[in-house]
Amino acid sequence: MSAALDYTRQEMMAIATGREIRDGELAIFGVGLSMLAGFFAQANHAPNLRSMTEGGVYGATPVGGLPWGIECNRLAVNATSFTSALDALGFLVASGRCDVGVIGAAQVDKFGNVNTTGVWDGEIGPHYRAPKTRLPGAGGANDIACGAKRFIVMVTHEPKRFAEKATYISSPGYLDGGLSRAKQGFVGGGPSAIITTLGILRPEPDTNEFVLDGWFPFSSVEEIKANTGWALRVAPDAREIAAPSETELANLRKVDETGALRKK
Amino acid sequence: MSNKLISLAEAVRRFSWDGMQYASGAALPIGSDAIIFGRELLRQKRKDLHAIFHCSGQQLNLLAAAGAATKAECGFAALEVVGFANGLRRAVESGRLALEDFSNLAMTLRLLGGALNWPFVPATVNIGSDLQDRSAFSPDDYPARSKIPAVIDPFSGKTIGAFCPLKPDVAAIHVTLADANGNAILIGTEWSRYELSRAAKKVVLIADAIVDPACIRQFPNLVRIPDIIVDAVVYWPFGAWPHSSPGVYDMDEEHMFFMNKALASEQGTADYIRDFVQNYSDIESYLDMIGRDKIKTLSASNSSFLLDPYRRWILTPQDVASLTARDLAA
Repeated sequence: MSAALDYTRQEMMAIATGREIRDGELAIFGVGLSMLAGFFAQANHAPNLRSMTEGGVYGATPVGGLPWGIECNRLAVNATSFTSALDALGFLVASGRCDVGVIGAAQVDKFGNVNTTGVWDGEIGPHYRAPKTRLPGAGGANDIACGAKRFIVMVTHEPKRFAEKATYISSPGYLDGGLSRAKQGFVGGGPSAIITTLGILRPEPDTNEFVLDGWFPFSSVEEIKANTGWALRVAPDAREIAAPSETELANLRKVDETGALRKK
Repeated sequence: MSNKLISLAEAVRRFSWDGMQYASGAALPIGSDAIIFGRELLRQKRKDLHAIFHCSGQQLNLLAAAGAATKAECGFAALEVVGFANGLRRAVESGRLALEDFSNLAMTLRLLGGALNWPFVPATVNIGSDLQDRSAFSPDDYPARSKIPAVIDPFSGKTIGAFCPLKPDVAAIHVTLADANGNAILIGTEWSRYELSRAAKKVVLIADAIVDPACIRQFPNLVRIPDIIVDAVVYWPFGAWPHSSPGVYDMDEEHMFFMNKALASEQGTADYIRDFVQNYSDIESYLDMIGRDKIKTLSASNSSFLLDPYRRWILTPQDVASLTARDLAA
């Protein structure tokens, strides 16, 4: 065994997310860290991953570091197809063909609902009112949350981001839990995991409430509970998640050329 | 077929007015977009714009910061890895601009619905979330019934939603190549430019380069925007700056951050408009403003090979100027 590896929490989060993605799947990534997680999977254990971005860049792998956006020339440089949003988010996601998506979150709640629209002081109330802080909005994440067979939420683990109930649902998880998502009739199955800078949460069968499935080697059940805004329960088989292997870390860093995940 | 090349100033004079529904926002936040048209809208002091942007980038960020847009509908409203859109945020948070929140697919589908003249578009996304329940345009309507109303699928009996189609008054669409008649080739992803070009009542193309019609006849399959739906063509190199145009130039990292920082305050916005909106009089002085060294660096893109098949048909700036002049004389 090698000596303890030096890696950041963000790198652990990206690797844990990448491990969720299987070879041969049709996958859609957003920009930023979720894209690094996806391309890490491709470089590490999923060489036949069929990747796309929501604007319709297919078959590309980033050159020169983290793309500034999904239309960045760092991706355009080796794409095999340029299509459109209707093609990517419509024909390949809303249709139900996409296996897995990765999205980010400013806030996520115990049923995996995601807010990327805004921060309000308290509840919004019965009238719409402008947020204190306007965030990017739903983007393509709502479409992925409704259409992909499963999706993974990747988010920094902080109490303010982990709420009992999302202030504004930009992208639906299991809504009010139980069968409430099923009633909407979405073609997509819902969130399969929330992967954070501290550990992994997964939905409990039937209630669809997210419970702690595992903690990272540098973290603990106590630390995760303290950073979660609801009374987080721990799955009976919860365990410590394996640290990144040397190969995993090397593959991630090949993709993350500019070190976006190494900033502590 | 007719020569539709006109100057930028003429295009904005002829195809924009206060209070109109103005559509742009070609490829997601850092990609190809007709940002130069937005700069000219400010130079000609257009106001009260209802912006329809598939995704917002620096153009809506600027129009919002300057107070020229008072309503906006869009999907993603930030600058991706560059950060939140400070100008747009400021306008939304202060209540100066009502921003209606949709997803990226919803915007495309609404443009498709407009293009097909459908009464509504069935919505299987955006339903069941606050995108359906809350409306910035009708704040008292909660849970909103006017934004994405529930409808019954007549075949399955299931409840789904209905999107309202979009038919913007004018779309300014950035394209890589166009001939003088308005046949356009787009390098990079289209996002929703195909749907937008059919949904808008008037279409103005902003092209990085003008090509001979022989180029169009060589690649007719690649012409996703045909001349028969185009009203005007404007030649303006680096029209998407500081965004990128795949095959032609990279994103200007330095200016992206600089511009977004400036738009975070009233004073910064005023200074930005003085220095980067009012501070040029033609294409040459615009390129000087960006900086000739910068132009050289941004043009040395790893993606330049994408332009290679078309280079032999690209007209010189002199040729383009004479074609444009002829139009003005006519």
